[in-house]
Amino acid sequence: MGETIFVAEFDSPATILAAAERVRELGFGELDAVTPFPIAALERPLRVGRSRLRWAVLLVGLGAAALAFWILHWTNAVDYPLNVGGRPLDSYPTDVPIVFESAVLGAASAAFAGVLLGARLPRLHHPLFELEGFERTTVDRFWLLVANVTDATDAASEEERGALRAELERMGARSVRTASRQEVRP
Amino acid sequence: MSAGALPRPTRAYGPGLDPEPPVLRDIGSDEAITDELLGKVLHPPKWLKWALLVTAGGTGLLLLAVAYTLVTGIGVWGNDIPIAWAFAITNFVWWIGIGHAGTFISAFLLLLEQKWRTSINRFAEAMTLFAVVQAGLFPLLHMGRPWFFYWLVPYPSTMGVWPQFRSALTWDVVAVATYLLVSILFWYLGLVPDLAAMRDRAPERWRRRVYAVFALGWYGSARNWSRWRIGYGLLGGLAAPLVVSVHSIVSSDFAIALVPGWHSTIFPPYFVAGAIFSGFAMVVTLLVPARHVYGLQHVVTERHLDNIGKMLLATGWMVLWSYVVEIWSAWYSGDTFEQYVYLVARPFGPYGFLFWTVLACNCLAPQALWWRRVRRSPLVLWFIAGAIQVGMWTERFFLIVTSQSRGFLPSSWNLYRPSIVDVSLLLGTLAFFCFLFLLFLRFVPFVAISELKALRHELAEEKRHG
Repeated sequence: MGETIFVAEFDSPATILAAAERVRELGFGELDAVTPFPIAALERPLRVGRSRLRWAVLLVGLGAAALAFWILHWTNAVDYPLNVGGRPLDSYPTDVPIVFESAVLGAASAAFAGVLLGARLPRLHHPLFELEGFERTTVDRFWLLVANVTDATDAASEEERGALRAELERMGARSVRTASRQEVRP
Repeated sequence: MSAGALPRPTRAYGPGLDPEPPVLRDIGSDEAITDELLGKVLHPPKWLKWALLVTAGGTGLLLLAVAYTLVTGIGVWGNDIPIAWAFAITNFVWWIGIGHAGTFISAFLLLLEQKWRTSINRFAEAMTLFAVVQAGLFPLLHMGRPWFFYWLVPYPSTMGVWPQFRSALTWDVVAVATYLLVSILFWYLGLVPDLAAMRDRAPERWRRRVYAVFALGWYGSARNWSRWRIGYGLLGGLAAPLVVSVHSIVSSDFAIALVPGWHSTIFPPYFVAGAIFSGFAMVVTLLVPARHVYGLQHVVTERHLDNIGKMLLATGWMVLWSYVVEIWSAWYSGDTFEQYVYLVARPFGPYGFLFWTVLACNCLAPQALWWRRVRRSPLVLWFIAGAIQVGMWTERFFLIVTSQSRGFLPSSWNLYRPSIVDVSLLLGTLAFFCFLFLLFLRFVPFVAISELKALRHELAEEKRHG
């Protein structure tokens, strides 16, 4: 038997936030949430790490700018120098627009790709979709996922699980159920 | 600044004492608003079919005009030397300018955390996309042999020649392509959570399947949302300079030429202000009817109309100021040709009536927006926006054409008259634009629902603590 994941359903951002903070206090390490819109305050109790996306975007943007600059310089000043009225071949001021636009295009593509790839998307299906009532999580339901890391056959853990369930219900969960890890996360 | 240094709350200033109309008005629960806004897409109004048909007919006119131009050559347009740039470039500059308001709303207002952005950003971004599509068509056709457009891309060809990047025309290619692609990415990233809601909420199986593909498997976990927020903010930050850069680069097509009436350093800011001005006018032109027909008065309130009206007034004054500076610089330069174009040819020449039309539409009409009642009256606002649209198109036209028709050599002076193909292309792109916009209303959740729900909770929270 695999690990158990508790799925607690809430109906407002305030209740799920309070519950997440409480469960964190109780010492459960692995938490996640599924919500219809971003709730920035949830990121602290859920220990969402700082994403490296910003750095990736910066690097790709600078790389695209460098590539564009090299193309402009090499094609117009080295490979095919064309003298137009004695104007400089490697004219940096006229490079500015294309280098800038290329940086923006590169960085924007990296930002978009980073959000999707970071979430392991695109995909056609996710095990979460199979859980009953998932379709409400894009509308008005907020799910808190708590991993109970102790072995399910342990008698002591049985007690702990009961306590967690009671606590989640006390914090205003509409329902609390369990699922195996495979059902939640592939 | 410490909190102690803030002015003391009074009746006019203080939390919970916002004298303006609310950003959202009784939109109900999360479920109600989701179902309501998705329902507007799932159950389209009956007239939509007919409107699509009519605009598809107009798109047919566009295709016909394009085909005729391609088969016969651009000699079928009214352009001739000395007026080589006329309708096509006017339409290009006008359409691409319209896009700027969409990016302004979605990017600048996002960075400034303006709450009134949420209800209208999806509309405005869609408008941007479709306007840029129309804009891109004209330089392509204007090339005469559009099937060689890829010569503008630096690829290693057997000819051994490279594009000339010291020319502003190659900058245009990169600027417009970047603008289109970044606008698509920004729009789509914001759309993904709403497509997921559509996937989970649509009644029919086939519809759920189709939206599921476009939703890319989004499941809204906290980690995904965290990355989404960062990525969306970054895209906003990256799109914001595009509002300024794209039309600056377009204006360089003119400003780096020596033609009297074009060779001016005021052009980049002048074009950008005009772009945002005409773009907000287009937002009003589309938003006011859509708000009425789809019954969105509680989502798009008088607050939005009022703010858009203020934006129109502010950018209108920037445009007016640019006109003044431009004319003053021409006079002050002492250059005979500049002075002639600005002080004689434009106001009193053969195209003089256009100059006065521009002043009436762009400078006089928006002054009505000083009155709050005008800004909050959808119908009056809509008519003022219409005047601005006409005025801005006319401004681009007369700016481009008068300079060429009254150049340095009086012996080469000539006039431009649009041909029926020119007019068909302009009307055709208008129809195609409306067609794309109606398709958007038909298939895409056109108000950012997930962002709206987040805003609803934010406002409720503020009220509780206020």
